[in-house]
Amino acid sequence: MTFEIDRRNLLQMLGLAAVSGSVLSQANFAFAQGADNVTIGWPSDVPSWDPNLRFVPDAQPLFKMVFDQPLDQSPDLKLIGNLITKWELKPDGLSMPFEIRSDVKFHNGDPMTMEDFKYTFVDRIKSGLKLDIANSWRTLTDIEILSPTSGVMKFSAPTPTAPQWLAFLGSYLVPKKYIESVGPEEFAKKPVGTGPYKLVDYQMNSRIVFERNDDYFGTKPKIKRVTIDIIKDPSARTAAIQSGQVDLTVNIPVREAERLGKTEGLTAEINPFTRLILLQMRNDKGFTDMAVRLAAHHAIDKAALSKAFYGGAAVPLSVPATPGTPGYLPDYKFAYDPELSKKLLADAGYTADKPATFTLAATNGQFPSDFDIARALVQMWQKVGLKVELQQIEYSKYFELNRGGQLPEATLYSFDNATGDPEIFSGYLMNPKMPFGAWKGPEIGDKILKLFVEPVYEKRIAGYKAVAQEAVETGANIPILQSVQTLVKKKSLNYVKYGNAWVLGSTMSWS
Amino acid sequence: MRMFATIAKLLVKRVLTAIPILLLVSALLFCILRILPVDPAAMSLPPNATVQEVEAMRTEMGLNLPLYQQYGIWLNKLFHGDIGRSIHFRQDVTSLIGSTLPATIELALIAMVVATVFGLAGGLFLFYVRGTRAEAVMDFLSILLLSLPEFLWSLFLLLIFGVFFEVLPFTGRLSPGFERPVVTGFLLLDSLITGKISTFLNALQHMILPCLALGIALSPSLMRVLRSSLLDVYQDDYIQQARLRGLSEKRILIRHGLKNAILPTLSLMGVQFGFLFGGTLLVEIIYSYPGMGNLMVDAIRNADLPIIQGAGLTYCIAVLVISIVVDSLYMILNPKLRAR
Repeated sequence: MTFEIDRRNLLQMLGLAAVSGSVLSQANFAFAQGADNVTIGWPSDVPSWDPNLRFVPDAQPLFKMVFDQPLDQSPDLKLIGNLITKWELKPDGLSMPFEIRSDVKFHNGDPMTMEDFKYTFVDRIKSGLKLDIANSWRTLTDIEILSPTSGVMKFSAPTPTAPQWLAFLGSYLVPKKYIESVGPEEFAKKPVGTGPYKLVDYQMNSRIVFERNDDYFGTKPKIKRVTIDIIKDPSARTAAIQSGQVDLTVNIPVREAERLGKTEGLTAEINPFTRLILLQMRNDKGFTDMAVRLAAHHAIDKAALSKAFYGGAAVPLSVPATPGTPGYLPDYKFAYDPELSKKLLADAGYTADKPATFTLAATNGQFPSDFDIARALVQMWQKVGLKVELQQIEYSKYFELNRGGQLPEATLYSFDNATGDPEIFSGYLMNPKMPFGAWKGPEIGDKILKLFVEPVYEKRIAGYKAVAQEAVETGANIPILQSVQTLVKKKSLNYVKYGNAWVLGSTMSWS
Repeated sequence: MRMFATIAKLLVKRVLTAIPILLLVSALLFCILRILPVDPAAMSLPPNATVQEVEAMRTEMGLNLPLYQQYGIWLNKLFHGDIGRSIHFRQDVTSLIGSTLPATIELALIAMVVATVFGLAGGLFLFYVRGTRAEAVMDFLSILLLSLPEFLWSLFLLLIFGVFFEVLPFTGRLSPGFERPVVTGFLLLDSLITGKISTFLNALQHMILPCLALGIALSPSLMRVLRSSLLDVYQDDYIQQARLRGLSEKRILIRHGLKNAILPTLSLMGVQFGFLFGGTLLVEIIYSYPGMGNLMVDAIRNADLPIIQGAGLTYCIAVLVISIVVDSLYMILNPKLRAR
């Protein structure tokens, strides 16, 4: 049999090619770079446009486009005024008088009032709606309104981190009048905030389009329209920035970031931020003996882990706090010393025939290279004579296992704290009543519980520094690395770098 | 008329059979998800919730009731159109599925068209070149196509057409700057209804790569089944008789060979469509396509059992519907079946 291309077939094929060509010729899909537009490839979506509903750290930069928090953070993470201009936590930590701006309007034109504050932080929570901020403002009993621009937050117990929480997860001011008129479901569909941008289009798991709020009370953003493309797959994000379909993207593999940084027109950054990679430790089972815990810590070559998995950009840590935050101890170093590990194990009576054994749990894919780090840890421990079994767990299981006391001796974990406050680092990780950490030892736990109600800032910070060092020296916690955020952008796009990895469209401009 | 009556009878029979299947699938789904070692109560609260709060939530969600009671409550709600409320998104699962399903159906249908075109054309070509060197080459190619899963095709096509040649978009359903018409949720249809041709073309461009990835992965099995069916059919006497009547090879192939060989391929297409729906999960993630696959991945990551149950049931309904449609087509195309 032979192939024959007759005139009819040829015409049919040409017709098909013409149709395909006409579709492809419309391919002006790559959004032209212009002073008024920017497209960002972001790895995750918001769970809802009700910003008080769920705590999702990666969604905070998206919420901050539409909503404002009472307080804000500067790029170096210092607390600064925003909707609230003055605040002062009373010495007993039981109340906090504050003053608000009088020139703020919601996107629908309604003025922001003290009623909106009371509604957001008290009334809405008490109404029975299932909001995550109900958990962060448990001790807030009331907001007493003194004047149209002043009020007092009242707490049932000392709440020393109230100012920090006013700039943290879920604490976004929402409009009372609007929500009461349209209902919470409609509010989540058409959110109205006071933020620098208005939400003009949203397609779940695909695209968010913001347009500048020209009536914004703060610094007016330079970019008029910000488009967020939700691209969950790291390879697709890499391809999107490389092909110019987005102007900036984050959280791509370190090697890809380094490669793209050498590409013409692009620049790459590997930025450490306020996220810890650490080992959650138990105080029982195979870790009852402090010598084993300390031997495990001394055996870890953190610099090698950083070099192998994060291009050397992840900072090795000796305490559960990141550099530049109040609880960090810059002069304290926990040594990498495998020989000391061996000695500690030998002194404790462990030998090659009778090795110390324990289990390490790790997630696979929850944060970059997590399971690879776990495998490397097992090898490092083997070298000093520790026999370790590696167990993979789902992130969604972590809290359940921890609540049920079923985590193994060590768990590789990452912990995010955009505020940088030590309560949300050492405090949350070592508080025996909270589900974040596995350590339930009373010596450290009691100290932490006291610091939770310590209202004097300096005393509180000093206390956390001391307890962080004690936790490390007793093997109650093994901090490993400061996590990094990779960022690749077009060279001509400027943005403000935040110590907590916020990437805000409102700070961007083209040069 | 008789044909329609037979098909109607078949439809009624298949719909009645589908009801117990759906009930069985719903029970299986429910039990399997409850056996999984995840705690939906804990997942529905922020990490700093206390043990007491988790327990209270467990009671509120009815998770401390016996499994059969939980299933009964869920089924009762299902009959009243309430699939449940998402743990993660805190929205009705019905509305979440309703807002994402059209995108997936659109994607799957066009991918099926791609698979059919490639599969039929490839199958015909394979048959056409039988016994030649080209057959060995085509065999090798079809095995190569068959051995690559959808997500690898997705990445491969993305790199070739999105990054290397930069001719096709690969994120979302529309380029920035295009307004999204919302009428039915089917973007291609909506852009035509609202008369936005440029939006239609742009949406079509965005569908090319994900549909190719899904379609190419399915087409080799169609090719191979069609080729072997054609080989069987060509052993029959009527082909020889057609040749004796002086009909051209092309006419014999199209009018006689293909018409009879298409039936097994059609059955396979029905089965493949079910797989294709499952294949959308990773393809939608890679192409940022806002469909049900993307939602399902979110649900799995967050142990959002109500969404997983709802989406699982939706997949089951889709497969049953497709199977009924294929059976009806089979009946139309095969007079022997109608005669039974």
